[in-house]
Amino acid sequence: MTPFEIKDCILLVRMSNLLPAVNLRELRDRLAVCDENVLYHHFCETPLRAIFDAPDYRNDFAVWVYQYLGDRALAERLGILDPYDFASFEELRSVVLDILDERLSELPMVPWARPGDEFCFKQATTVVFDTGERIADPRELAPAIRAMTNGSVYYHFLEARRRPPVGTDDFSAWLSQGGETCGGYVKALGTIDYYFHSMVHLRADILHALAEAENGP
Amino acid sequence: MTAPLAAYEGIVGAAVVTQLRMLGEKLAGLRIVHVNSTREGGGVAEILEWMTPLMRDLGLDARWEVIHGDARFFEITKAIHNGLQGKPVNLSARDWRIHKDVNEQNMERLRPALVDADIVVIHDPQPAALLGLCPERKGKWIWRAHIDISRPFRPVWKFLRGLVGKYDASVFHMAEFAQPLPHPRFLIPPSIDPLSEKNRDLSPEELESVRGEFGLDPSRPLLVQVSRFDRFKDPVGVVEAYRLVRKVAPVQLVLAGGRATDDPEGKAVLDDVMEAVDGDPDVHVLLLPPDSHKTVNALQRLADIILQKSTREGFGLTVTEGLWKGKPVIGGDVGGIRLQVANRHTGFLVNTPEGAAHRIRYLLHHRDRIRQMGETGREFVRENFLLTRHLRDGLTMILALRSGSNARTLYV
Repeated sequence: MTPFEIKDCILLVRMSNLLPAVNLRELRDRLAVCDENVLYHHFCETPLRAIFDAPDYRNDFAVWVYQYLGDRALAERLGILDPYDFASFEELRSVVLDILDERLSELPMVPWARPGDEFCFKQATTVVFDTGERIADPRELAPAIRAMTNGSVYYHFLEARRRPPVGTDDFSAWLSQGGETCGGYVKALGTIDYYFHSMVHLRADILHALAEAENGP
Repeated sequence: MTAPLAAYEGIVGAAVVTQLRMLGEKLAGLRIVHVNSTREGGGVAEILEWMTPLMRDLGLDARWEVIHGDARFFEITKAIHNGLQGKPVNLSARDWRIHKDVNEQNMERLRPALVDADIVVIHDPQPAALLGLCPERKGKWIWRAHIDISRPFRPVWKFLRGLVGKYDASVFHMAEFAQPLPHPRFLIPPSIDPLSEKNRDLSPEELESVRGEFGLDPSRPLLVQVSRFDRFKDPVGVVEAYRLVRKVAPVQLVLAGGRATDDPEGKAVLDDVMEAVDGDPDVHVLLLPPDSHKTVNALQRLADIILQKSTREGFGLTVTEGLWKGKPVIGGDVGGIRLQVANRHTGFLVNTPEGAAHRIRYLLHHRDRIRQMGETGREFVRENFLLTRHLRDGLTMILALRSGSNARTLYV
């Protein structure tokens, strides 16, 4: 096995060029034209942002609809979307627009947010660097993950799914090089319901899965 | 005096400090100049006081410059500040001319430092005209807004936008505080220094000393709001909430703020507060000198519940301070308080004195929740709102700006 290279990443968040949405129709119309990176940020990068660790929903659209438009039904429909289930962000966009259009057709009037509660569209640059640290043996993986920054865990377990091999985390891709002997680890990592986790819980779940693969449940 | 970076390792963990050192290696020797309008007092000076030495600790050639001006200049910049926060102000063409003239005078003094700097960070509107006066600049210039300019008095913003729109980038605390500008607008929330006098751990003796100094009863619950006497902080609403709780629980209240000697509005608010207090011996209205950091720290640590019942707020670093001390915070549902207070997790967001009273009573009846929320809040601040995260974001922004890349992922 080639040594695993531990990378770290930091999210640099910035405003997108879209004007804030003050009501549900504006949210729909801005989402129809926004850059894919805006969608990616509000669906996938929330665990790394400086926000409270345990929101009711993992994507910002569901949180906004719930908190500021008071539409619980729509929040539930948006909140259950798992962006990693979609082959592309265009597919995800299309599903989100369908949900919003359906809701707009159900409502007698378009819900508005109060001034100051508008939805602000953001995007981020992921700045990645090599920590210089390497893992040579699969048994070193768990202690290394325990000591990593949240940025490293995010980069290798979540962000990795957008890079080839698409849909696979870096730990599993590396462990797969070990063939049969590492098959238990790969299988255990594959059972984690990662999208709805905070970084704290995700790290704990990864460590738990690796420990079970090592020692048995 | 800021502690060296290594001193923070015990608080944030080795990985966070190592990450900062790696960023420092990528930017070693880079010349960075911060420019603001005062070396003492105010949140910006507090930030630069730690940020400049910590950047140097990481190997950057960082320096901090301050512009000078006369009383008239600072009256004008105070009006600009108020205008940016939405207050209608009257600024004439002559006032803007004075603003530019003072920037010009400062430019002559600062030119050698600014022309060759790799990165210049101009803080707030006071020195904003410097960029236009430095056509031979070589580095990237960033405008850092420390206030909420989401609903400015338009004539003031219109003029300032002409100055700051020419920068290479701007930085805001939160998306909700920003204005459209024709360059990248980064979002970097502020932070607190866990080793500063205002936030460091205090010994039991230090806490008892402050408790004794103000005659606080250790056997009864204590509510504390730390903020200047300003209507937007709603101190009278806090007294109303206290009265509603006092009917059923023997609580004490501390309202601690600065002296309001030269602020007619502050004096009027203080008078209103004293009238509302009406001589109640369990309400302690404390007028503290500006350097009372340890006293504020102790009061927050002695509190059972921290209040920040603002009706309008910037980021609200007193909330961050309260959470860091392991206390639940009952805060107004506005500004940066929303980012920090998560209902039922780190405290409660409220809109009225009645709402605040209701939540205080809830917490006094559920003492275990006070402890749980306090622990959650402290960890939340450790992860998101300490100066190490702030420094990391600032350095990352510099890396991104210098790369000139617009790619979603940047490998450095």
